[in-house]
Amino acid sequence: MTKIISLFILEAVFCFTFFTVSYSDINLIQTTCKKTPFYDLCVLTLKSDPRSSTADVSGLARIVADSVKAKAIATLNQISALLNSVKDPTLEKALEGCIVSYNTIIQADIPVAIDAIEKNNPKFAVQSATDAGNEAQACENSFAEKPSNSPIFSGNKAVHDLSVVLQSIASLLL
Amino acid sequence: MVDTRPFLPVSSHAGSDPTGPSENRRKPMKLQLSIFFVLLTVGFFAALLTSNNGSDNGFVKENEHGSLASPSSEKQLRPVSRGPAVGVSEKSNRLFAKDNENQLAYPWNNSMLSWQRTAFHFQPEKNWMNDPNGPLFYKGWYHFFYQYNPHAAVWGDIVWGHAVSKDLIHWLHLPLAMVADQWYDKNGVWTGSATILPDGKVVMLYTGSTTENVQVQNLAYPADHSDPLLINWVKYSGNPVLVPPPGILDKDFRDPTTAWLTSEGKWRITIGSKINKTGIALVYDTKDFINYELLDGVLHAVPGTGMWECVDFFPVSKTEENGLDTSVNGPSVKHVVKASLDDDRHDYYSIGTYHEKNGTWIPDEPKIDVGIGLRYDYGIYYAAKTFYDQNKNRRVLWGWIGESDSEAADMQKGWASVQSIPRTILFDKKTGTHLLQWPVEEIESLRLKSYEFNQVKVQAGSVVPLDVGPATQLDIIAEFEIDKEALEKTTGSNVTFSCSSSGGTIERGALGPFGLLVLADDSLSEQTPVYFYIAKGSDGKLKTFFCNDQSRSSVASDVNKRIYGNLVPVLEGEKLSLRVLVDHSIVESFAQGGRTVITSRVYPTKAIYGAAKLFLFNNATEASVSASLRIWQMNSAFIRPYPNNKESQ
Repeated sequence: MTKIISLFILEAVFCFTFFTVSYSDINLIQTTCKKTPFYDLCVLTLKSDPRSSTADVSGLARIVADSVKAKAIATLNQISALLNSVKDPTLEKALEGCIVSYNTIIQADIPVAIDAIEKNNPKFAVQSATDAGNEAQACENSFAEKPSNSPIFSGNKAVHDLSVVLQSIASLLL
Repeated sequence: MVDTRPFLPVSSHAGSDPTGPSENRRKPMKLQLSIFFVLLTVGFFAALLTSNNGSDNGFVKENEHGSLASPSSEKQLRPVSRGPAVGVSEKSNRLFAKDNENQLAYPWNNSMLSWQRTAFHFQPEKNWMNDPNGPLFYKGWYHFFYQYNPHAAVWGDIVWGHAVSKDLIHWLHLPLAMVADQWYDKNGVWTGSATILPDGKVVMLYTGSTTENVQVQNLAYPADHSDPLLINWVKYSGNPVLVPPPGILDKDFRDPTTAWLTSEGKWRITIGSKINKTGIALVYDTKDFINYELLDGVLHAVPGTGMWECVDFFPVSKTEENGLDTSVNGPSVKHVVKASLDDDRHDYYSIGTYHEKNGTWIPDEPKIDVGIGLRYDYGIYYAAKTFYDQNKNRRVLWGWIGESDSEAADMQKGWASVQSIPRTILFDKKTGTHLLQWPVEEIESLRLKSYEFNQVKVQAGSVVPLDVGPATQLDIIAEFEIDKEALEKTTGSNVTFSCSSSGGTIERGALGPFGLLVLADDSLSEQTPVYFYIAKGSDGKLKTFFCNDQSRSSVASDVNKRIYGNLVPVLEGEKLSLRVLVDHSIVESFAQGGRTVITSRVYPTKAIYGAAKLFLFNNATEASVSASLRIWQMNSAFIRPYPNNKESQ
């Protein structure tokens, strides 16, 4: 009988531990993402990075920062490709402006945000994340054909929205 | 199908036992299995349920994020607007312009960007600056130190820059005072303050961010006290002298103040921190700046204000028109506690009483306690710090003015941030609740040609140009009188007004807005109004607001377009008075002798160089105003590196 009981306890502990550990990781991600305006994007971004399972809020911010940078690099590549074949001078000007914006995001905004988070001075991360979102916005705004979207709309939106997520999470560290 | 068997003692069928015992063993095994499955199922459903909980797009905090949480059908990328409850940094999320056609992205050329550099505000030759550090007067020189990034126009790699001046206006750059060369400040040589000892010697306390990112306090002092320029600094070999005390997190312990003497002859300092979301100021006593004792309790605490950065604590005289040494105390003295709130990037102050025995301070008016009441400045202004200027017996205030353009532009122009013109601080005897800030008188040495305008009448709904020549470097002193009849006749209403939630100067009231348009071009396509707005309550009482409207300051779309400002007390018999310093991309405005102050950054694309003009305006619907002004062209302060050859002093 005692064998049964001890085995039962063992199984219960095993199940309990397994589910509570993964439950609490998901919980931090959920509670953090609830405080951003893009819950689904936030959760998706964090869950797809293995570091999120052991990250604290600072770590989650770092993951989002890395994701902004990755998306920005991808969008920058798109812009460069478009520039290679562009004929229309207005479009060319807009694309060139976007290069400036994206270089700022990649070389200034994200490195400063990551540095500020690491050094526990999160207000500079909030500021940089806000700027990154604004840079993406400025790029999108610079295309003439409103109200339809620019050729790089999805990149701009992804970078913008993720920057806002980063801004929100960094604000939690204040 | 999960095989649960490996966890269970398997009874071998090839075993020996006949049905009896194996029958016995099989029953408990079945029980085990079913329990395990039950637990598994319960766990599975629990996981399902919890993941469902989060799938709605609700969010917990008070901030209202706009329609950006967009379904995939959203065509346009919209920026998020930040609600008032959440802290807003200098860089605010851009709102879609009301008038899209007038918006330009990337208008910036080198001509526009180089115009933005100020002529008489302190800024390093290039790169990023933030908090003012350790200001003091020593052996004939005013010293100014500051947070500086030697490598880029963005925050990072922070070290202490240094400059000196004879008059707080004409600055000469010196070599870096301190760099991140010790383990205890490797990750940042952060903000600190100077204390001048009775024998005239200087000690500096500053925050270092260690290699482990712990915030600690360090002691430094001049290498050579006989050097008036205080070029070289030595860090105390036993640093750090203070580490975060129990109950305080490693990341919440920074910006030590100037020390003041207690009646026991010890030195006392305060350092800002927080416990959860309550902002606090810790108090330490020391005899030698090396060993400290933490006092029980705190100087003061205010719930909900978050981390208190750059705390400042100083006495002001209730009766005299001069500043007081930080150690002064007495019956005719009030004490000010000031904190920079990390959460919203604003500087708040409150006036109250210091209780020396237990190192506490109580505000005169708890409703306007630290962090929830008055601000030094209602525009861009942060990390401010005062010092007692023993040279001229005054208390002088420095404040960091960041940029409100895009970082792309900062990178392109190669610099970011300026300091405000140093301001004297006095207790406002007339209101008893406010401090008065005023640009130091030495700035008047920059005044060149002056223009006078007397009783210029500005009818309701009109604009009057003021011909003063070039309008990018100006010192303006103005007085306004509003039509008394209109004041009396206007019907009051219950509607509450605030500068930031108003429509700016296009929102017309009976008694306002009226004031000045600075950095405006002839066609007024770009304009920065600095103005009053008088609101009459349903009880007939008048409230005066002082605002600065950036919404049409530039056609560029990548700059801040906010409206700054606040209530300004106007007492019986007082005329409305205004002082404005225009210096390229910075505008500092003072109402009612400095009772309410607004600093803003302005980045026009057209209203620059010779195209920048000055106007009076009155967009009220009922009242006319008359304005009298004195306006000076301002010279450059020629801020430059300290000359190398000994002859040129």
